[in-house]
Amino acid sequence: MTFSTMLSTMADGMLKTGAIFFLTLIGSLPLGMIVALLRKSRFTLVRGIISVYISIMRGTPLMLQLLVWYFGPYYLFGMNIGNWRFPALIVGFVLNYAAYFAEIYRGGIESIPVGQYEAAEVLGYTKTQTFMRIILPQVMKIIMPSITNEVITLVKDTSLAFTLAYQEVFSLAKQISASQTSFMPFVIAGVFYFVANYVVEIAMNRIEKSMDYYK
Amino acid sequence: MKKILALLLVLTMSIAVFTACGGSSSDTETSDGGDQYGEGYVFKHGFDLDYPPYSYRDDNGEVGGFDVEMAKAVCEYYGWEYESVPFNWDAKDAELNAGSCDCIWSGFTLNGREDDYLWSKPYSDNTQKIMVKKDSGIKSLADLEGKKVGVQTATSAYDLLQNDNEEEGGQAALANKFESLEVYETYTIAFNDLKAGAIDAIAIDVTSGNFLMSNEDGYTFLDEDLGSEVYAIGFRKDDTELCEKINAALDALAEDGTVEKIAANYPEIKDYITLGK
Amino acid sequence: MIIEMNNIEKHFEGLEVLKDISFGVDSGEVVSIIGPSGSGKSTLLRCATFLEKIDGGEIIYMGQKAAHTDEQGNAVYVPHHEMGKFRGYCGLVFQQFNLFPHYSILKNITDAPIHVQGRSRDEAEATAMELLGKMGIADKADAYPYQLSGGQQQRVAIARALAMKPEILFFDEPTSALDPELTGEVLKVIRQLAEEKMTMVVVTHEMPFAKAVSNRVLFMDGGVIVEQGDPREVFENPKEERTRQFLRVFEQ
Repeated sequence: MTFSTMLSTMADGMLKTGAIFFLTLIGSLPLGMIVALLRKSRFTLVRGIISVYISIMRGTPLMLQLLVWYFGPYYLFGMNIGNWRFPALIVGFVLNYAAYFAEIYRGGIESIPVGQYEAAEVLGYTKTQTFMRIILPQVMKIIMPSITNEVITLVKDTSLAFTLAYQEVFSLAKQISASQTSFMPFVIAGVFYFVANYVVEIAMNRIEKSMDYYK
Repeated sequence: MKKILALLLVLTMSIAVFTACGGSSSDTETSDGGDQYGEGYVFKHGFDLDYPPYSYRDDNGEVGGFDVEMAKAVCEYYGWEYESVPFNWDAKDAELNAGSCDCIWSGFTLNGREDDYLWSKPYSDNTQKIMVKKDSGIKSLADLEGKKVGVQTATSAYDLLQNDNEEEGGQAALANKFESLEVYETYTIAFNDLKAGAIDAIAIDVTSGNFLMSNEDGYTFLDEDLGSEVYAIGFRKDDTELCEKINAALDALAEDGTVEKIAANYPEIKDYITLGK
Repeated sequence: MIIEMNNIEKHFEGLEVLKDISFGVDSGEVVSIIGPSGSGKSTLLRCATFLEKIDGGEIIYMGQKAAHTDEQGNAVYVPHHEMGKFRGYCGLVFQQFNLFPHYSILKNITDAPIHVQGRSRDEAEATAMELLGKMGIADKADAYPYQLSGGQQQRVAIARALAMKPEILFFDEPTSALDPELTGEVLKVIRQLAEEKMTMVVVTHEMPFAKAVSNRVLFMDGGVIVEQGDPREVFENPKEERTRQFLRVFEQ
């Protein structure tokens, strides 16, 4: 196999890695916020369910969760899981990352002084307005470093998709390495993850900088 | 507490799954009329892409290998549609049982698993060997005493070295004399360790071993075999009809020369293909 | 009357903080509330501005009931959608300013008029600039709160409350968080508002200020109004022993 064939084969895997990465963020960033808000729900039952959900997501390996999501429907309900591989992967990633993001959001929300809520309430802001206009922008600034950490972890975690034999860059690296008895695919994968994270870092730095206009 | 957690895990996940894929649940079982495997049947070939040259990424980066070409030939023979289902080898049984694939056809060792699957006829011989550096001074299995030996996880070489039933050819007694048995995710990594001198030998099936050595000088197999085995296709135990169809197709393809033609593409294993011999 | 609070009861976890308090404020009146910490002054303000719910009694703004006690003895507020009107009658200036740190000074003042009251941006900004001018910090419109001194921030907070055009403005110890040299500039602004006949209730420890600016002084202790009246009378000739004791501490 020529180097360029290797690269172009793996480029396909990079696109798939990118798909996992972006779909996970698109799903888990908002879902994490919903989870964080539900965690503060008035209803004990809701709070209980959410806190169990968060402990399971954080307390078990993501690889295991992916297997459960993929094979669960068959073992529990005898369903045909033919086209379920990629959806299961995304569900697994989104729910796992939402739990982590939820905890980050919660920390951020709790760090906003109560005076901010009171000032908004006295000025007549509705609960939604208070959250969207006053609280959330401040939370975002506070949590951005933690979010950056998670996003970087996510780039690397996408490789866990090999568990479900999804042909992302790491699975391909393993396969090509096996067939070519070469380490080069792993080097390519390593460079890819490094560059991807470098881009993530630059992007996140920009976002953090854009929030630097106040203290 | 842990039990409760586990129960809740299953519950929450199952609820979510139930809502998520409710739509696709209707076609779990195809109608079992007489012609289930007629023309147009979608044959789902389950295999591991880490197992050259039976199933792997070929030099063009495409999914290929002897087993893949054979499966495609069978599909062509019956007018079936071929669907490739690459899976993670550790999850092969779950994949097969869950129905995401029709069979495990991926250099799959029959020996020791006789009762676990419904087996096709064996199509390839594969002996377990010990690979060493030519200048290592290791000449026999007995010389492995006090040496570091590498093996890939979930392979028959690995099973052989774990098996202490000598009637089945188990080699656990030998493995106990090693300084250590190093278990690797892939043979590629094990081979690198052998090159680097981190281990002294690799327990491996002859075809995989030949494949690894094909581009490298300085390595050899011990003359003594570690064990012998055959490859066959594993089906779910109740899929008798499918199994019989595949067996019939294998015979037919052996007869008309297709097998030989395909095997010619894989010089490192063609001598071991037993179909039609 | 702008506001009337009758027989207000409030307790926190069994502790009675307000015990059957009644008081009202007329248009243009400036009322100072003094008293030791824990006497219920701040709680009274927070009840008046709906940050805390009363447990009994009634709150009437501009002759309209915002809250009353039903036959079972529970305090009942008007439905949610009517609360906005009542919140609009009152403004509150906090001890800790509570400006929105991510908004510029101008936006701190215009955001609520635009998004809560639905005023036009032009109108809101004109009002804001006028108020900032009055506060003597028109040049800070584009600055952010962290760039301002405490005294300036508190003046912005006052401008923010005034921009909502409230009928009455409450101050909860507006100078307590400030360095002594900065209290003067805030008190000056409040004094100026008093001259313009802005209706105000000021919880304060600044006795000379309370004496000079207010039309009426309330002395609170232990969740009740111990004494109230003309400032000169309360300060110079208090009727109650507790008032005398309290004022003596301050004279030292």
